[in-house]
Amino acid sequence: MSLKKFSELFGDLDSINSTNNKIEVLKNYFLSNDPIDNSWAIYLLTGKSNKRFISGRYLKNLFSQIYEYPQWLIDTCYLKVGDSAEVITLLLKNKTNSRKKKLSNISLNELLSKTIPALSKLNEEEKNLEIKNLWETLPEDNHLIFNKILTGTFRVGVSIGLITKSISKLINIEEEIISHRLMGDFKPSIDSYEFLINKNINLQELNSKPFPFLLANTIEDKIFKNSINDFQFEWKYDGIRMQLIKRSGNVSLWTRGQELVNESFPELVEKMSHIKDDFVLDGELLAWNFKDQIAFDFSLLQKRINRKSPTRSIQIKYPIIFIAYDLLEINGRDIREIKLENRRIELEKYFSKWQIKTENNISDIFKICDLIFPKDWPDALTYKEKSRENNTEGLIIKKKTSIYSSGRKKGIWWKYKVDPMQLDAVLIYAKGGSGRRAGLYTDYSFALWKDKELIKFASAYSGLTNIEIKELDKWIRKNTIEKFGPVRSLKPEMVFEISFEKIQISKRHKSGIAVRFPRITKWRKDKKINDADSLENAYELMKKIS
Amino acid sequence: MRTKQEYLIRYKDGNLYCELADIWIDPSKPVKKALITHAHFDHFTFGCEEYISTKETAILLKERVGDNIKIKTFEYGEEFKINGINISFHPSGHILGSSQIRFIFAEEKWLISGDFKLQKDQTCKQYEIVKTDYLISECTFGLPIFKWDESNKIANDISKWITNSPEKTSLLFCYSLGKAQRLLNEISQTNFKGNIYSHGSIHKMNDSYRELGIDIKDTIKIENKMKIDELKGSLILLPPSLSKGSYLKNFKNIQTAFASGWMSIRALRKRSGYDKGFAISDHADWDGILEMVKKSEAKNVFFHHGDSEALSKYLVEKESINVLLFG
Repeated sequence: MSLKKFSELFGDLDSINSTNNKIEVLKNYFLSNDPIDNSWAIYLLTGKSNKRFISGRYLKNLFSQIYEYPQWLIDTCYLKVGDSAEVITLLLKNKTNSRKKKLSNISLNELLSKTIPALSKLNEEEKNLEIKNLWETLPEDNHLIFNKILTGTFRVGVSIGLITKSISKLINIEEEIISHRLMGDFKPSIDSYEFLINKNINLQELNSKPFPFLLANTIEDKIFKNSINDFQFEWKYDGIRMQLIKRSGNVSLWTRGQELVNESFPELVEKMSHIKDDFVLDGELLAWNFKDQIAFDFSLLQKRINRKSPTRSIQIKYPIIFIAYDLLEINGRDIREIKLENRRIELEKYFSKWQIKTENNISDIFKICDLIFPKDWPDALTYKEKSRENNTEGLIIKKKTSIYSSGRKKGIWWKYKVDPMQLDAVLIYAKGGSGRRAGLYTDYSFALWKDKELIKFASAYSGLTNIEIKELDKWIRKNTIEKFGPVRSLKPEMVFEISFEKIQISKRHKSGIAVRFPRITKWRKDKKINDADSLENAYELMKKIS
Repeated sequence: MRTKQEYLIRYKDGNLYCELADIWIDPSKPVKKALITHAHFDHFTFGCEEYISTKETAILLKERVGDNIKIKTFEYGEEFKINGINISFHPSGHILGSSQIRFIFAEEKWLISGDFKLQKDQTCKQYEIVKTDYLISECTFGLPIFKWDESNKIANDISKWITNSPEKTSLLFCYSLGKAQRLLNEISQTNFKGNIYSHGSIHKMNDSYRELGIDIKDTIKIENKMKIDELKGSLILLPPSLSKGSYLKNFKNIQTAFASGWMSIRALRKRSGYDKGFAISDHADWDGILEMVKKSEAKNVFFHHGDSEALSKYLVEKESINVLLFG
């Protein structure tokens, strides 16, 4: 029965667009199924299992053999469908409805823990026979799931975040706790599911929780009226903003998006666990060029973000560093309410202590951010202009007397970006290129927010690498909403940093602005569409320039 | 073997044409004489001097385009002569009034399948097997990945889809002629007992079906100022043309679905932009096409309307049926 229920769940998740409804469906699924099946469902949905038991090609050949189907016919079908598991599912519909064998009502657990792993122990002939037998005994509704698991292509539009949210709703416990529980090597078992839905929060889980992040605002003119001595100046690094937490001996790395990323950066976790004190640090994770002591480009860091348990050689190839901006808690004492300048003194004090007293050398993975001391505002401007040289984006300007509150609080932290002629925009249309770029979607249109609507503001063709173009082209084909001749409208999902030379008012454009020489300077895979800039930001930018 | 010019029926300017009778079949541009297989707009064009169709097709067409056209009608199976060629209409099972057209000349039989399906459909006459020497068949769904479920299963899925979201208004998009009436007929036999609304274009066709003696469930014509609350939990049938654009803003808290054979493929379903797809079609699936071709006993087959390459190759290799290409 339960494989059928999981098939239904897959069908529902696949046809529901609203996040809330997906959460509701997941919740109901968890409520009405065995812990062990729930555990497997989570395992599958979070993409923890993408093991390929047999290839799509093998599956197609096998089908061709068993049912005497010409291979070319299956290949033609594949062109239409684009997924081996689905092609075979659709073709099986033709074949197994007149069967006489008794249908099996195998559970998700049995299929995943016994039946499928057992396949790899069989010789080819036995294996083929077993798959044929399963095709003939599994209810038709379950073929797609079965074929997809078999070929390691099970995927559905559900993120870890969504699973986290549904379990959080199910048992009424904060998402951070669930996130923490889902971290690590999730082994499907009754215990692991019971642990996930345990209503009692243990101390370690509580200890892992990050503070809400304090965010900087785009700089405003009025700041220049203040004395330069009221502010602390730091470089604005372009990495992953992060809280590094060590409490009761356990280290947790939390991104601003509430993601626990310990598994991606094990060397940092390991090194920091040697420090004797407990602490919460606010800082930035960067790919770091230790030779020149500057940050590597963000793209290098990207090689690390989604890779869990990186090998030693990956760790060496893409070395990382955590640069601490701020100390928020020390040995259990929350110090967010004391002034920034005093927190900085504490931070420096502890840092030098840790450098001397920690057994292993920590300075090859952890440092505190250098401060900059401009004489006056014009001098600050000079620093800002130079920030490209050390691969930073500009300056962060913090009021020395500020406490660490939460959110994007006005008037205490400012970001002063080196190239203000830049906006983060959402990709909404793509058009096919020509010549060398024929057959690829290479002409893009980008939009900014106006209230809750995305308004087109610029088109750009250049700036992406060939590899990125190919990747994006693939994405475009999969995420087209509508085609108008050569143009496709796209699901708003991808954010790009667009740079340009000039920005001015234009009555000809719906956005009311025109930009000169727009180009793509970065594919912001780390950003969600809600993080993209608004038209209002663009107008502010224009005001500042003129 | 004859040259293409010598075939009784051939392709001319993208349309099927019988030169001996000087008559066109479902032409896409104005001609003197046009045989019309059924009343869908992609098989009809304005401005022909004379149309010939079944009685039902004529009535449906006039309801859709007005009385201003000259149509001669014949009963199914009734033979009529043009320039010595015997022509007759036979049920094709696609929609009410839809037909295959048979030509007999000098003891040689030709059959144009028109749009057809073999599946059961209570809103129109069942497909009739017609023997022929030459067959011209559509093959919209000419790949083995297309295999339709029984229509009552789809109707039950639709019923479940609506009743599982009682707080929502369910918008089901479908072609207003044929598909809508078939769905209404099937849905009225399911557990769904809520209100069913339909768009004016569908409502009109429902009336015509009833006048032609087909039992179609009563629906409420959707008006612009319907109260949102009363639509909750009900089903609304709409033509696909309204799925894009501002029309949907008239409703709140909706779920959308599209009823079409193409919805059997996940990628197409995802790309369509509808929440859900129901794979139900008024065209034959792969098995349907194969069965029809075999039962017609045709020695020579032509295909149009669809990707015929795989189907042709399969028939030649596996069934030893001669598949020909139009010039």
